[in-house]
Amino acid sequence: MALEVRARAEAPIPLDVRFTVEPGELVALVGPSGAGKSTILRAISGLYQPHEGRVTVNGTPWLDTAAGVAQPTHRRRVGVVFQSYALFPQMTALANVMAAGADKSRAADLLALVHLKGLEARLPRALSGGQQQRVAVARALAREPEVLLLDEPFSAVDHATREGLYAEIQRLRAHLDMPVVLVTHDMEEARRLADRIVVIDHGKVVREGPAADVLFDPAAMRGMGLRGAGATLTAQIAEHEADGLTRLDGATGPLFLPRVTGPVGEVVRVRILAHDVILSRETPAQLSALNVIPGVIEDILPGDGPGAMVTLAVGQERLLARITQRSVRAMGLAPGQRCHAVVKTMAVAPHHVGRDDPGDG
Amino acid sequence: MDWQALWLSLSLAFWTVLVLLPVAVFLGRFLAYHRFRGKGAVEALVILPLVLPPTVLGFYLLVAFGAASPVGRAWEALFGGPLVFSFEGLVAASVLFNLPFAIQPAQRGFEAVPVEVREAAACCGMSPMQALRRVELPLAWPGVLTGMVLTFAHTLGEFGIVLMVGGSIPGETRTIAISIYDRVQAFDMAGAAQMSGVLLAISLGTVALTFWLSARAGRRLS
Amino acid sequence: MPLPRRHFLTSAAAFAALPARAATAPVIAAAASLRFVMADLETAFPDALRVSFGSSGTLSQQLRNGAPFELFLSADEAYVQGLAHDGHLPDDGVIYARGRLSLIVPKSGDMEADATLDALEARLTAGHLRRFAIANPEHAPYGIRAREALIHRGLWQGLQPFLVLGENVAQAAQFAVSGNADGGLVAASLASAGPLAARARSALIAEDWHSPLNQRMALTPRAGTVARTFFDFLQSNEARAIFARHGFAAPEPA
Repeated sequence: MALEVRARAEAPIPLDVRFTVEPGELVALVGPSGAGKSTILRAISGLYQPHEGRVTVNGTPWLDTAAGVAQPTHRRRVGVVFQSYALFPQMTALANVMAAGADKSRAADLLALVHLKGLEARLPRALSGGQQQRVAVARALAREPEVLLLDEPFSAVDHATREGLYAEIQRLRAHLDMPVVLVTHDMEEARRLADRIVVIDHGKVVREGPAADVLFDPAAMRGMGLRGAGATLTAQIAEHEADGLTRLDGATGPLFLPRVTGPVGEVVRVRILAHDVILSRETPAQLSALNVIPGVIEDILPGDGPGAMVTLAVGQERLLARITQRSVRAMGLAPGQRCHAVVKTMAVAPHHVGRDDPGDG
Repeated sequence: MDWQALWLSLSLAFWTVLVLLPVAVFLGRFLAYHRFRGKGAVEALVILPLVLPPTVLGFYLLVAFGAASPVGRAWEALFGGPLVFSFEGLVAASVLFNLPFAIQPAQRGFEAVPVEVREAAACCGMSPMQALRRVELPLAWPGVLTGMVLTFAHTLGEFGIVLMVGGSIPGETRTIAISIYDRVQAFDMAGAAQMSGVLLAISLGTVALTFWLSARAGRRLS
Repeated sequence: MPLPRRHFLTSAAAFAALPARAATAPVIAAAASLRFVMADLETAFPDALRVSFGSSGTLSQQLRNGAPFELFLSADEAYVQGLAHDGHLPDDGVIYARGRLSLIVPKSGDMEADATLDALEARLTAGHLRRFAIANPEHAPYGIRAREALIHRGLWQGLQPFLVLGENVAQAAQFAVSGNADGGLVAASLASAGPLAARARSALIAEDWHSPLNQRMALTPRAGTVARTFFDFLQSNEARAIFARHGFAAPEPA
């Protein structure tokens, strides 16, 4: 039941893409605003028809402009979760799920699956954003879709709720045997949920590959705005200290973070954003930052502006540091050199610390 | 009190609403959802009866449906009597001059249905007709109903066009508005006042109903 | 064979089940000046009629456009003759009465009902005249005669700024007694009728001040038995008496 997408258009935005999604695979389409990600999703669902294109699901064409085939949306077995939830405002949660074709008991089961048992009779306006989104997911699944599409589904939801929803999706993956396409501009989201990432910029595919590889590739990140660029380090909780900090054991030394919830011994993944990393050739002294992580420079990639992205090997893992090219020159940084990455304890937010998600690549 | 004329007016308003209801739903929906070249022209045509003086409209309708016109001749051949100066002719004219009252509010009602909700309906497997019935109408009905109420009230009061196209034939085309005019010309002020009072009460009632419905529509979508 | 169009519309909805809607009562088109005399004529006539009043010009236009009148009683001859000439009437019928013009003044006002129009002239010269009503001389028979009378009397030019024109002579009568006008020149048949006589005074204008108001009537191609019977009835002595009571003169012998 693989999904194959090929689309080309001039208007309303230029588009020229081609990619495949295997059954059970979750592919994230990432890219800057206006790149065409949502347009591609709409081409798959049939809400938009590109000038030239082919969308096939397990060989069956949903769209084939060359052959004159264009199935209307309601005939495509597609489940869509919209950014704005798009629940039917006059129907209860149960009725919304039933509207996609499920009978009462199956609809109730689906709502229970997304942990909304007991809220079946609520109208959308009586549900929180996160709850509405779960109803939307249940409704999409009620369609028994051959393809599941998620269009920036979590951008309208706050961080804490998002964590819950990510976990939900991860759990649901076990029940999803169809291709899933997720559109997002949040790197972390892509990293957490996707198996593969397709990077779209100006309507074209600029990079494609396993999530970890792509997200770590500064060249791919460059076109997308580097705000979200960063790396993840694995560490084990060693001790919860008295003054509100937690000490973790990392590959090359201790890490100090604001209190991390979890028992001693638990392994967590810590996301460190590239722009929060300062580099020092010597061990810095009299510095307020508690985290000084030794590593070896692997690569330096200058950007279009004044910045440069330095890739640092830390044990088996990598860290990214975004500094100025001036500093690179002034410090004489080069691959192979030993270097220290300085990270402020307070720069690491609670939501940057995650548990080892099952199936996380 | 000319009960026959009142009955005639209510009957005319009823039939006009009946004919315009599906027109308002389908045309209002079409205009709400689609952008196309010439849309401005179509919308202008729909509004035209609002801006033209009733006598001008009445004149053109008389020419379009009269004994000399193709429509009028075809009607006469089929039914043995003229289309104009008959109740059916009034219904035809009434449907046309009420277009803006029926279609505009319905169009607004459908415009208020969020695009994503309509798209979600399609993604749920609903055909356009199913989506109309299960998702769109439940949301747009206050607009449609407002259109029907306005059409009803407006038809009750219409004078110029009805006089032009209908004449003032008792029991056939002498609506209550014309009957009032007739009473005044006959110097029966008491009779005219009585019928005016009844018409005023009915019109006020429908206007109040419209406002109540609009408020209700505003509440349910917030 | 014409389809029973009335059935599908009328029987479907309770609303449209109108009692006297029987297609049997013929529709008679009558000029506005006949408003009050028609009531008496209908009473004297055994069969039911449906009367549509209007200005002669409007009724004539409606006939041209297919109005289902079976008999047309106009306020003059020209309209009937025009219709006959254009083939809308089988013939130009007969003259059924001669109309008269009256000056009418509201009792609430202080102008005299002076048939010589001296009072009117005095008011005009003194600058006290507010408004004076006549039927529209462009198309209404009584309006045309009113203009002729005023021209004959030399008051036409002077009255121009004060004239209020009624679409038909009944409307002119309305304006005349409304209290906003000093009076008017209207059909004698209206001026002498109950509701108007109660609130206004009137005086007949001399017949030689204007061209004769020979009122013609004609049967239309649709005329059925009842209409034809009525047509004959209107020429009977009984009908003539009723006309006379309402201020009409008998038609001059042909």
